[in-house]
Amino acid sequence: MAIDARQIGEERQRKEIRDRWLLSAPALFLIVAASVGPLAIVVLYSFLAPGNYGDVKWAFSTEGWFNVFLSRDIFDGTVSLADAHFSIIWRSVKLAFITTLLCLIFGFPTAYFIATRTPHTRSLWLFLVTIPFWTNMLIRAFAIQEAIRSEGIVNTVLMTLGLISTPIQMLFTDFAVLLGMTYVFLPLMVLPLYASLEKLDFRLVEAGYDLYASRFGVLTRIVVPMVRPGIVAGSILVFVPALSSYVIPRVLGGGKALMIGNLIELQFGQGRNWPLGAALSVALVVVVLFVLLFYVRNTGKSGGGAHG
Amino acid sequence: MKNGERMTISRATAAHGGTIGLHGIKKRFGSFQAVDDVTLDIRSNEFFTLLGPSGCGKTTLLRMIAGFELPTEGRVLLDGADISGLLPNQRPVNTVFQNYALFPHLSVAENIGFGLKMLGRPKSEVGAVVADMLKLVHLEGRGDHPVTQLSGGQQQRVALARALAPRPKVLLLDEPLSALDLKLRKSMQIELKRLQAETGITFVFVTHDQEEALTMSDRIAVMSEGQVRQVGTAREIYDRPADRFVADFIGETNFLTGTVERTEGRRATLRLATGATITAGLPDTATPSGAVTLVIRPEHADLVTAGAGTMDGTLGDIVYFGTDTHYHVHLDDGTDFIVRRQNSRAGSEGDAPETGHRIGVRFSDNAAQILKD
Repeated sequence: MAIDARQIGEERQRKEIRDRWLLSAPALFLIVAASVGPLAIVVLYSFLAPGNYGDVKWAFSTEGWFNVFLSRDIFDGTVSLADAHFSIIWRSVKLAFITTLLCLIFGFPTAYFIATRTPHTRSLWLFLVTIPFWTNMLIRAFAIQEAIRSEGIVNTVLMTLGLISTPIQMLFTDFAVLLGMTYVFLPLMVLPLYASLEKLDFRLVEAGYDLYASRFGVLTRIVVPMVRPGIVAGSILVFVPALSSYVIPRVLGGGKALMIGNLIELQFGQGRNWPLGAALSVALVVVVLFVLLFYVRNTGKSGGGAHG
Repeated sequence: MKNGERMTISRATAAHGGTIGLHGIKKRFGSFQAVDDVTLDIRSNEFFTLLGPSGCGKTTLLRMIAGFELPTEGRVLLDGADISGLLPNQRPVNTVFQNYALFPHLSVAENIGFGLKMLGRPKSEVGAVVADMLKLVHLEGRGDHPVTQLSGGQQQRVALARALAPRPKVLLLDEPLSALDLKLRKSMQIELKRLQAETGITFVFVTHDQEEALTMSDRIAVMSEGQVRQVGTAREIYDRPADRFVADFIGETNFLTGTVERTEGRRATLRLATGATITAGLPDTATPSGAVTLVIRPEHADLVTAGAGTMDGTLGDIVYFGTDTHYHVHLDDGTDFIVRRQNSRAGSEGDAPETGHRIGVRFSDNAAQILKD
């Protein structure tokens, strides 16, 4: 019986592809089970009616989504835009954006410093950058709260030195939230920036200086375009969790500096309006997706860092 | 590369190449002495080459002229003015880097115009110079291409154009041809000579390739272990090497030992270890006596029948090189001697020497040169 060699080859190829799918199966299972599945439940809940004591009634309702955008007066039933929701969403986007910017401003010099060390000392610096991850974020947030509260160490020192006569109100302000988020998310910016800078060909920097560029010229015209992939990756890694940040604004922002994460929590907790909470959650996912699409499209086009 | 097409740039021919003075330059990296007390004067409009094996300090010297490294001791002068303390972007000196270091995110034209743009020249001037430069390096119509899509030879020419565009007083070239294949390298050598002649800019060229140095340079400094061993024209260095290192590094050389019997002007009569008496040229700066080393280039010697030449020996390996053939002779006193003969089609196969046979080596009195040390 003649054996068709080509048929065997094709069979083997098919088996190889199947084996690779098997390799990725655990990750795919996790993604589906832990992300897509729950998200589907959230979408489903956003179209149900709220129960009296939390939970949901199994009846179709658009009330949740209605309440995301509009609010109905309790007494006369007139409908107006849900200003509170819009301002909180806008605040969240604004704070997340400023956090990303601050992380970039502080993270870039740090990453540049590490990337220009000798290979041996680089690993030590990277190790130091990752140390904050060893402590729970909640504990670090409380540590910041302790430092900046009215009777905290910062105010005490300033008052002892006679620089101020009354404590500065730092806790429960946007400043506190920004401080906390920048501190917590900084390593997420430094690490991808470092990965890009580490691959940067420093002969290009020399070529820039040789061709009469100033330090600033070399930075903006050579270094930044070359490490753009790292800047994009770092910004996404900071912006996305910052936007949906929950612990930091809760501990450092108090009840005044709410972010969308806290608003969602409120609906599932004291608000007892699960459909509204679910709808707000879906809205947050949509906002993140749009921001990411916008960001990737606008930074991908310039095609910088072909060697990145 | 298109031959025959000669571009002359009026702005370029008007340029005056700068002079470089290196005075007592030393550079130490930790405990490693990269450059050890180098003093050199590079003239205006000169094609000057720093030649030496890797690690001899030639690139470090070049980087100190560019300003990327500061000398531990000594001064760098440009047109007589001390530039030792200036930053690279303050020196009217540009570099062609070994692996070109083109900006991958910029187009060909943007790369070439980068220096002028950083100097704050108006857009119209940058555009005009870039167009001139594209012509000068035969890349017309490639201005908009990304540099990453160019071939090695084209990238090389962009790197040249980029360094020439700001009209530096001195152009530094750090082994710019080492990444190219042989044929492209040959044509780029001619191209570089043409560019140097047309622009009138002083070129300081670093290479470890002695053939490249000999064919291109007005003058060559041969370096070894951080020191300059000899400075001179290609002919001076090849024909009258100062010391054993230079003689060995440049071209192929036979070393013989002998004893000086008497000197007469710049020539000496000496007795070789083999017993023969010959005359040889003395080095430029010294008059050695007693036991000396002398060098004879393989092409300055010839094979004759045993007993008819200066020395006798046994013929060893015969290596065919296309244009010529190398004959390795084991002389009777134990040293090895190479004779190079040019191959000619008319050459009769009948009298071809054979391995293992007794053979004589003959060379003219002018062929031998005594070394300083």
